[in-house]
Amino acid sequence: MSEPTDTTTGRYLVLLQDGSAAASARELSNVAGIRTASTLEGATAESLGTVDGVIYANVGVAVVNAQPDQVNALATAAEAPGPIALVEPERVVQALTAPAQEAVEAAVDESVFTWGLQAVGANISTATGKGIRVAVLDTGFTVNHPDFAGRTVLTQSFITGETVDDAHGHGTHCIGSATGPRKPASGGPGYGVAYEADIYAGKVLSNAGFGSDGGILAGIDWALTNGCAVISMSLGSAVRPGTPHSQIYETVGQRALSKGTLIVAAAGNESRRPDKIAPVGHPANCPSILAVGAIDDQRAVAFFSCGTVDTVGQVDVVAPGVNVYSSWNGKTGDSLHKRIQGTSMATPHVAGVAALLAQQYNARGWELWARLMQSARRLGLPATDAGAGLVQAP
Amino acid sequence: MVPVAVTVTDGVAPSTVVPALERAGMAVDRVLDALGVVTGTAPEGAIATLCDLPGVSHVERQRQVGLPGV
Repeated sequence: MSEPTDTTTGRYLVLLQDGSAAASARELSNVAGIRTASTLEGATAESLGTVDGVIYANVGVAVVNAQPDQVNALATAAEAPGPIALVEPERVVQALTAPAQEAVEAAVDESVFTWGLQAVGANISTATGKGIRVAVLDTGFTVNHPDFAGRTVLTQSFITGETVDDAHGHGTHCIGSATGPRKPASGGPGYGVAYEADIYAGKVLSNAGFGSDGGILAGIDWALTNGCAVISMSLGSAVRPGTPHSQIYETVGQRALSKGTLIVAAAGNESRRPDKIAPVGHPANCPSILAVGAIDDQRAVAFFSCGTVDTVGQVDVVAPGVNVYSSWNGKTGDSLHKRIQGTSMATPHVAGVAALLAQQYNARGWELWARLMQSARRLGLPATDAGAGLVQAP
Repeated sequence: MVPVAVTVTDGVAPSTVVPALERAGMAVDRVLDALGVVTGTAPEGAIATLCDLPGVSHVERQRQVGLPGV
């Protein structure tokens, strides 16, 4: 086991290629001498005390303790065909969901509206999103959240064995920023950009935060079939510099635009500025999917926000993604809302602004893309970090 | 078998390509009409065959996708 750092646990995640836990277990043993137990056999995270690794069969991922030479053996195996697809350090748990955030008071007065609504000018726009359908493909939605009483909400789960109910919280947060209220029933500042839009909540990530291309593509297809003008996707997977973008998602992005649906996706959070700028992840790195980076309330690029590294795979716009207050999946009091950060939070702000533009100008598809880029406020930041700048409500 | 996603050529109804995909060894999971996409699983060795079928534009292995970590 390696030494833990601020962002990693010292353990490793091994992405497994197919559904056969038994074959994967044999491969881990043969390649690196790692003894594993599978969740299909009742193993849990606690089993790591007695074996070297646990295979999460349903998501096709193993969590393993490995020495450096074992990690090297796994990485070599990942380059070759076989059950081992990818090896990466396991991130600290709160990082995957909601990174712990210091309880900083926003420099902006948030007594009435979040700083995010003010930064994109939503609070001074006459557009509301009324009549526009916005799909958020994420971990689901807390359908009985009091702040959404009386709203039009359609839901669909694309995760086998899980209802649309958001046991994670991330999906409910994103839906809040894109389409939540301006005067929340449970109190606090208004936090939703397109507060009268129709909400299409598609669950394409499990309650543990995992999904696959198949479920996401099914969710996009569902949103298109339902005539959603905007699809917000705060999800992705990190890519190495120089990795070609997906031809499938690029085709899907183009077909969606031609049918009047704009797909907006998170650029990713793998940068560690100022030392490291990571490339825009999959699928936001497709040219026909709008990639969103994150800024803070001082209009600075967030330290984690991915940047334009390769010829293709650019950041297109930025939006508020630090210290973002929105709805959460709790049942009472403080747990109804939460402050978190990420390009995940910036993305639904852009989806909300797109819904306002769609309503204001009856713009769809490529025209909507152009309206977003045209009206974005230039920030004096590198275009490689901020694209056209901070999106603005009409 | 590995999870795959297939795009069909512009203007082709995905359901018309499904029989050929199945003959080539693909187990079809979903036919996404609005997108012109078919998803499912296929033997690793069959992917090249799928690519060459009439009406097929691209074939890719599906990725694992999740919440962006910070």
